[in-house]
Amino acid sequence: MGHTTAMFFRGLIATILFAVSIALSNLPALAQSPLRSGPLRDLNSIVEAKVLRVAVTRFDLPSFHVRGPDGTLLGPEIEMAQQIGRALGIRVEFVDNAESFDSVVDHVALGSADIGVSKLSQTYNRLKRVRFSEPYVTLRHALLFNRVAIARAAGGRPPAAVLQNYQGRLSVITGSAYVDFASKNFPDATVVEARSWDAAIENLLSGQVDAVYRDEFEIRRVLKNKPALNVPLGSAVIVDQKALLSIAICDTCSKLQEFINYHIGVTRAAFTLKGLLDSELGRPAR
Amino acid sequence: MKAGAGAPMDNSLKALSRSINRPSITLAAIVLALALGVMRLPFLQYLRPVGDFYIALLQICVLPFLLATIPLAVRSAMASGSAPGVLRSLLFWVLITLVAVAAISAIIPSLFFGYASPDEKMITNIGSLLGRSTDNVDVEFAIDARQAAEIKGATDVGIFAVIPTNIFASLSSNDSVRVLVFAVLFGIGMVLTERESGHSIFEALRHIQAVCVLIFDWFSLLVPIGIVALVAPQVARLGPDAFTALTLFAYPLLATSALLLLAAPTLCAFALHVSPASVFGALLRPVMLGASTRNSLICVPLALETLKNDLKVKNEPCDLYIPIGIATIRFGTILYFVIATLFMGTLMGRQFNLIDLGLLALFSVGASFATLGLSGLAALAPLAIVLRPFGLSYEVAVPLMIIIDPLADMLRTMLNVAINCMIPTLAGGRAAMRTTQASL
Repeated sequence: MGHTTAMFFRGLIATILFAVSIALSNLPALAQSPLRSGPLRDLNSIVEAKVLRVAVTRFDLPSFHVRGPDGTLLGPEIEMAQQIGRALGIRVEFVDNAESFDSVVDHVALGSADIGVSKLSQTYNRLKRVRFSEPYVTLRHALLFNRVAIARAAGGRPPAAVLQNYQGRLSVITGSAYVDFASKNFPDATVVEARSWDAAIENLLSGQVDAVYRDEFEIRRVLKNKPALNVPLGSAVIVDQKALLSIAICDTCSKLQEFINYHIGVTRAAFTLKGLLDSELGRPAR
Repeated sequence: MKAGAGAPMDNSLKALSRSINRPSITLAAIVLALALGVMRLPFLQYLRPVGDFYIALLQICVLPFLLATIPLAVRSAMASGSAPGVLRSLLFWVLITLVAVAAISAIIPSLFFGYASPDEKMITNIGSLLGRSTDNVDVEFAIDARQAAEIKGATDVGIFAVIPTNIFASLSSNDSVRVLVFAVLFGIGMVLTERESGHSIFEALRHIQAVCVLIFDWFSLLVPIGIVALVAPQVARLGPDAFTALTLFAYPLLATSALLLLAAPTLCAFALHVSPASVFGALLRPVMLGASTRNSLICVPLALETLKNDLKVKNEPCDLYIPIGIATIRFGTILYFVIATLFMGTLMGRQFNLIDLGLLALFSVGASFATLGLSGLAALAPLAIVLRPFGLSYEVAVPLMIIIDPLADMLRTMLNVAINCMIPTLAGGRAAMRTTQASL
């Protein structure tokens, strides 16, 4: 009887351990993380490792982060990451080989970076994989459009009448949040993905598309840097669609998220639309 | 006794006003204002409040004057046997003038634009002006239809924009078009009830009109100061860079305006059998008052006085037409809309054929009526009616028009006053010698 009872409990414990091990192995962060065998990644493990790994895009994001003449990363996003590192008392290491905005998120989700800063908008798809901080700046969605083409499509109506239910060709940067935003907000448009913002603008100027879709800052920066474009191109802001630019944080890092949110709360004024537009780092390269 | 004591004072005031407002002094004031404006001296900003104060003084009597003058004119027309003929003649000349102004506005600038096209430098300058003038974006819209409705807002449109549903609200908000509509309806009603009951307040209205004219005479003493105080800061606002970028727009506007401003007094002189110089000198005062105040309605009392007293035009067509014509028929706006559209077409690479030009003239006349009740930059909104059928962007036109508006608004008002003064002159001609001798 006693032997039977002991066997029953051993079997029960083995079953529970097996079930727990299966459940843990299915947790996405652990399943994908190289730290799978260690403790859950969060503030303490990052501080213990004495390094905050920050993913950024390999291409410049003028006014947000750019590479200086010697290849050093500069800009308010870089400064923000370094401030967070200083507040944690650890050094910051930039992982700057992300090919796209989504790739920055991939780095964070897969554990090769702890956080990602690259003008990242929060989207439903990204939120499935990483956490996001409070937004450090909120920008309205915007379109840059070919005035003649939109006026022709409007047939005497205001351009907003066409843009609101846009059915033409619309360019967005591939691997950006605007791929998702375009399919949600302009379901009848033909979305043409461009490898970069410059390529998207080139699509617009060459007539391959009649509008490009991004945030208010980027649209206005194009017109600010090339004033002659104000004549053929118009700008439109979508007042009820906002890009919440936030820091991507590893999915298990709830304490780090709290820490970063506090930092953003006390330094929120660092990013303003006017400040970004006036930034020296936003000017085109000579 | 009182009247006898007041008359010499009234006459001496008129003499003083006439002396101060001689064409030579008015011209000197214009030249001084333009010179100061071009120099862009810093102290000009301090003239602006003086100018605003002057406009405020002139506006004191405008609405009471209209409320008194229009019923009196309606009564005069309904009581006189010649009224139908005068009305027919006025209508004829209004139509002829509308067609002529629209045709000239379309043909002359289109010839200019046919030979001139913007180069890369000009487009860059215009783009820079646009970028600087528009801190905001061209278009705002919402994906959510409910928010889109909120952005649109609610305003009276079409015929409702001229119906005086609450005359007191119209009076308090300076809504002159609704006041005019009310005054015409009220005038007709007063004449009909006068016939039935024998009672009327027309004598009281005549008195009110005389009071308004007297007060206006007081302020007329300040016309030269007003011209300098209002025109100089306005010219200074333009700045040389605006002209550099917008020469393509400014040249045809200036040239066609000058042509029309010369044509109107010349035709008046032809109709009145007097020298063009004398008509030009007489009309200079109301036209320059229009240029300085950029408000046509303010010029109504002075225009009436000039036509009836200085040029001896028949009273009936002047009384009937001037208040309503100046308030409603905006010849300057027609020219402005046509040139703005041709300019935008040139900028965007759009060609206009003869049918397009005809349609453009037609749309511009229609859009000019859509500006009723609007003034300043708000009066630019109907430009969309003209631009959009030709696939041209209203959103890019408005910031450019705002840049050049200090000059364009002056020209629009000058044309409105000058051409509207021409119509009763052509319709009525010179008053009979009896009246002329009586006034002498």
